Amino acid sequence: MKLKGRSWVAVWLLSFLGVLTWVVARQTASHVITTELSDAQQQRSALEAQRAELLRRIQEAGSRAVLVPRAESLGLRLPADSEIIILQVPSREER
Amino acid sequence: MPKAALRLQAVRVGFGVAVVVLVARAAQVQIVDGASYEDTARSQRTERVELPAPRGTIYDRNGVPLALTQTTFHVGVAPGELRDTTAAVEAIAQHLGLSTRRIRQQFGRKYAYFHGPFSSNQVAPLREIRGVHLTSELTRFYPNPDFARAVMGRPAAPGRPASGIERVLDTLLIGRPGSAVVLRDQFGRRYESPSRLDAFPVPGHDVFLTIDAELQDIVEQSLAEAIDRLEAIAGDVVVMDPETGELLAVASRRADGSAPASVFTSVFEPGSTAKLFAAAALLEHELVGQNDTVWGEQGRYTLGSRVIEDETPEGWMTLRDVIRRSSNIGIVKFASRLSREQHFEQLRDFGLGTPTGVEFPVESPGILVKPSRWTRWSAASLSYGYEVAVTMLQLAYAYAAIANDGILLHPTLVSSVRSPDGEEVYRHRPEPVRRVMSAAVARELRSMLRGVVQEDGTGSTAALVRYEVAGKTGTARRAGPDGYIPGSTTASFVSMFPADDPQLVIVVKLDDPKGGFARTSAAPLTRSVLEQVLAAQTSALDPARMQGVSSRPLSRTVLQDGVFPYVVVWPSKPKANVELERRVPDVLGLSFRRAARRLHQMGLRVRIEGRGPIRSILPAPGTPVSDGELITLVGEEGHANR
Repeated sequence: MKLKGRSWVAVWLLSFLGVLTWVVARQTASHVITTELSDAQQQRSALEAQRAELLRRIQEAGSRAVLVPRAESLGLRLPADSEIIILQVPSREER
Repeated sequence: MPKAALRLQAVRVGFGVAVVVLVARAAQVQIVDGASYEDTARSQRTERVELPAPRGTIYDRNGVPLALTQTTFHVGVAPGELRDTTAAVEAIAQHLGLSTRRIRQQFGRKYAYFHGPFSSNQVAPLREIRGVHLTSELTRFYPNPDFARAVMGRPAAPGRPASGIERVLDTLLIGRPGSAVVLRDQFGRRYESPSRLDAFPVPGHDVFLTIDAELQDIVEQSLAEAIDRLEAIAGDVVVMDPETGELLAVASRRADGSAPASVFTSVFEPGSTAKLFAAAALLEHELVGQNDTVWGEQGRYTLGSRVIEDETPEGWMTLRDVIRRSSNIGIVKFASRLSREQHFEQLRDFGLGTPTGVEFPVESPGILVKPSRWTRWSAASLSYGYEVAVTMLQLAYAYAAIANDGILLHPTLVSSVRSPDGEEVYRHRPEPVRRVMSAAVARELRSMLRGVVQEDGTGSTAALVRYEVAGKTGTARRAGPDGYIPGSTTASFVSMFPADDPQLVIVVKLDDPKGGFARTSAAPLTRSVLEQVLAAQTSALDPARMQGVSSRPLSRTVLQDGVFPYVVVWPSKPKANVELERRVPDVLGLSFRRAARRLHQMGLRVRIEGRGPIRSILPAPGTPVSDGELITLVGEEGHANR
């Protein structure tokens, strides 16, 4: 069947609308991806900040400047070398 | 032609011309000038931005993070865009830790700005507030900012040059920035688009230092405590693994709490710790026998117009006695058997007077004067550590050669380097510089050093109850800008632990400590460090290897006293294997000076023929050579053809 003038206009309009819809859909998808990416980046940087803060606290809590006074307040002291016995665990090859 | 038809024709022609002009103009805009219009349009609505690369992380030898990179934020607020100013002020004050007064003051401006930088967690609750704009930035974060600060250094910042390891390894740590194109509206606001990312930023390499965080902590705390207790002006401690040349701990501190990089940059006269170098030369040249003795002059010896004194009067002494009792008179008399060249070459072979080449931005070469410029007193002075100046690193480096059976190893601060994808791109292997003395001489010197830490030795205060320590005390007069400072001393103690299979070389120095002598200051500090190292289970010391070392049996009193021994369990670690085999390096294209320096550092001798660029190397690059072999560098000009 041969298309007439109005039909051609309709086809062209529909095609145009289709292309527009496709472009809008792509833009929307990219916007969603951008938002997700941005959220992930924020989450990552928040976790990294948390990790850094925890590292700082662990290193501070594990330092001798903090541990030694606490140990001494509990009546503990550093063992003299004569009080240290070294037990050697055999290596995997030796077992 | 009828008039109407004529008019119609004219309209047609007019339309035709208009269409032609329109098409021509369109062609000009789209085709002829299209590219330039396209560029203009693109520059108006897009902008290329650089995406900074995260700087690589620096770890200690066991993977403890010492420096890392994190994203931080600056906060900008447009007060005009806020819906609820009071709520915004409260939220900003609460989460950023700022005073409401300061925030309100800033809000009086068109655009308020809080520089911070603030962490991601701090700014997270502010993201949803309309009118709050965040600017991100990558910043360097040090979990413990004072930890090994002089060694770590800091990256460059506006108005501050880079320093320390951050500077030396900058090109490895820095990474490669990426780039992206962002869309821009008429107000200049940027909009990200995921499809416009040109290049991802590549993070920098991760660097593992040789520093052991736990040992460093022990050393820093012990040094600070000793400086306070002994009212010293300053102090330094270096701990080195003599089998690998790795620096395990480097600490410097002044009484005011500052921590300069003095281990690498400050020089001092080593005093009696240099007696070992003269002893090494005497043994190496077989100029002293086991039973040879010299007369100690009862502690006072006149040499020309100069009087040399010992702390305690001594009679006849062997070389071993001289070292144990740290007799100046004894070493001066023994060292007189050395020629100037023999003495100088031995000191130079130990690395004195030249930088060690450690990975640090600045390093002092120390002072070692050539024999041609010696005075009549120089040989005597040098034998007990005057007229020569060393850095702490050089002293550790030289003693490490004695601990390592005579082989001088290149010192290092870098253990390994990993690419961003985790691949190991560099791992430190022990790098021999040269053989300084035979293994037998090194063993003999270590045996002498054990005597120093025994009951009647000058270093007895460093002795542990069970494990044997080898070491040498050094108490030297301190020099100031106007000569020696009356009553002021530099007290140092160099030790090896355990004595018969050294895993650690520890050099301790205190400037002007109360009491003045090394045996009451530097030696006890060494013992304190060793006791803590033994108890700490640090991987810097392998207790498994201490099973075979000589130790005194546990005394019954210790065990019967109700004291429970502290049991350390440790897996065995294989001993580092140092290979002295070397090959001629390819130095073609280098200047004669740089080529000779590199060859000297490898323990090779150099002969230069001709001038200009290096044309050939004999033997050829890659040829296996032995220690001390002669390498000939032939220049382009003025050489005999060969």
